[in-house]
Amino acid sequence: MEIFESLFTISSVTPDRPWGLNIPNYFWFTGSSAAAFIIASFAHVFGIRKYKPVAGFSLLLAFVLLVAAPLNLIDDLRQPGRLFNFFLYGWDHFLTSPMKWGVLLLMAYPLLILFEALLLYRTHFVHKAQEASSALARGFYRLMALGNMRLDEAALQKDEKRGFVLGAIGIPLALSVHGYTGYILGAVQANPLWSTPLMPVLFLASAMVSGAGLLIVLLPIVQRYFSPMQRVDGDMMLALARLLGWFIVIDLVVRFFWLTFAMPFAGDSGYTLVEYFRHHFVGVVYVEYLLCLIVPMIIVFSPLAKRVGWVFLAGLITAVGVWLFRWNTVVGGQGIGRTATGFLEHTPHWFGPDSITAIMANWGAFIAILAIVMLIFPWDREMAEHYQGEHHGKE
Amino acid sequence: MDEEKKSMKRRSFVKGLSAWLLASGAAVQAQAFSGKIPGRDEEDQRYVGQEGKRFGMVVDLRKCVGCQACTGACKVENKTPRHHFRTWVAEYERGEYPAVHKVFLPQLCNHCASPSCVKVCPTGATFSRGDGVVMVDDKVCWGCGYCVNACPYDKRYFHPQSKTVDKCTLCAHRLDSGLLPACVESCVGGARVAGDLNDKKSQVSRLLAGFSTAVLQPSQGNRPQVYYIGLDGSVQNQVRGTVNLDDLARMRDGKPRREWQTAYK
Repeated sequence: MEIFESLFTISSVTPDRPWGLNIPNYFWFTGSSAAAFIIASFAHVFGIRKYKPVAGFSLLLAFVLLVAAPLNLIDDLRQPGRLFNFFLYGWDHFLTSPMKWGVLLLMAYPLLILFEALLLYRTHFVHKAQEASSALARGFYRLMALGNMRLDEAALQKDEKRGFVLGAIGIPLALSVHGYTGYILGAVQANPLWSTPLMPVLFLASAMVSGAGLLIVLLPIVQRYFSPMQRVDGDMMLALARLLGWFIVIDLVVRFFWLTFAMPFAGDSGYTLVEYFRHHFVGVVYVEYLLCLIVPMIIVFSPLAKRVGWVFLAGLITAVGVWLFRWNTVVGGQGIGRTATGFLEHTPHWFGPDSITAIMANWGAFIAILAIVMLIFPWDREMAEHYQGEHHGKE
Repeated sequence: MDEEKKSMKRRSFVKGLSAWLLASGAAVQAQAFSGKIPGRDEEDQRYVGQEGKRFGMVVDLRKCVGCQACTGACKVENKTPRHHFRTWVAEYERGEYPAVHKVFLPQLCNHCASPSCVKVCPTGATFSRGDGVVMVDDKVCWGCGYCVNACPYDKRYFHPQSKTVDKCTLCAHRLDSGLLPACVESCVGGARVAGDLNDKKSQVSRLLAGFSTAVLQPSQGNRPQVYYIGLDGSVQNQVRGTVNLDDLARMRDGKPRREWQTAYK
């Protein structure tokens, strides 16, 4: 018998881990935001006409997701009142702490989306300001129009150019904002599950899946109940379903490379990962991979993709599945013992910071902000305009 | 004309004001962006450490009997909270009857020469002193927990009262007064020896020169400065064995679940 196979731990200290529910939830929000932004950019930057009707809504969704996401981080801090310390101290760790430069990206990105959205809908806000009866409303819409009340050809052209530039800068920024979250984990060499240069790529690939999934879940709801068309665009759902399918393919390919290197060819940490995946076999293989990636992939590439209900289901499953991937990675990864033997289990609290109710509150905040943004921005009218006189609107 | 003069005056006032704001802003920034925390800016002795020294420890495992005197002494000296320890001695049994061997592993912060916890800290609250002692400033730490995850030795935890990260300081407050760390002072077998690695005549230096030593998890690249004599290969790297029997006993006794506890399968 090898000596390693017969070690009995009589007593040791079982360590606590710092990150609970907040962190996978945060990763899911930023990732989905990046994906929603990229889908919006298909129309705004690459000029793909097919995605024009959803581009506006997708851009706003990206913004709202990124407004709600950092609330998770603040909730995760044990000393949230010291938020300002981040700006005052610790700049000598700038190059070695992904959290340091990541937070700067995290602040720049939602501002960029906001300005892009304001430029996109400036004409609307100018009209609103002109129609407004009260000084307060006039001031508000003037602000939303970025103080520029000109609507001549030259001004509109300038808007378009600026929007294009912001969109173009936004693509690498969106990828960086989510890439950095993977970087945060990848940089932790003490954790055998996290410590891989592939982590940012893995996070981006699964983010595209969750973002497309979320859009597929929200689009039929907003089109059916909150837009002037009051019906679901089946063609758009089919297009998004196929897009989701390709995102799943990319995600599976990246995960294939990750796992096939991380287990047999990774030295000592490979043994730990074999143990880890054996420990989490059902959750990872049957739920995360088979149910939440392979099954939806089959649905969206099959004739079922022409049925809105099935596509909706596929989108929902993948969005949930990517959340589980985040959970398994963040919480499962922390469960790997370093000085302790075996694996740790996390039991989230119901109340207080970093608890189940805190996450529900965050989702509540997300829905509330989305509702406010959807009320202020004329995404619905813009969407309807794209359908007028085109074949798109048919279901 | 009067109107124009007024406007000129106003303009120069605005210009002056913005220049003044910019200058004062830059001054504040220059201080804030020194990249350090107040204690290090002020070159406070407790932050800078002892000049020219490099503290470390040698643990002679042949002399450790697993009595936990160090664990208790540290708890008293540093008033660590319930269920949390800055140092402890893990106890393992290796092999099966009749070929059985007890393994004791005293553990503490390794005060690494290249600490992964310090690298990732976004506020600079955790830092290495000039003499190598790794510290946390509990007035600056915002409790993100990144360092807790970055430590390969699991030697950091959240202090429930201060709500910041806490860890072994090698009893820096004692070292700075010319005393030995509490765990070293209380070690009945004399297994723990702490001192200045730069001083070739110190006991740690002589032990390092005279014996073959090893560190925990050398592949992590942290260059730990706690050295072991007689370190068992089965516990040098990540420990793989049965789950903590203490935790199994907790389950048997029907105690409430902890937020993080050993998984049973």
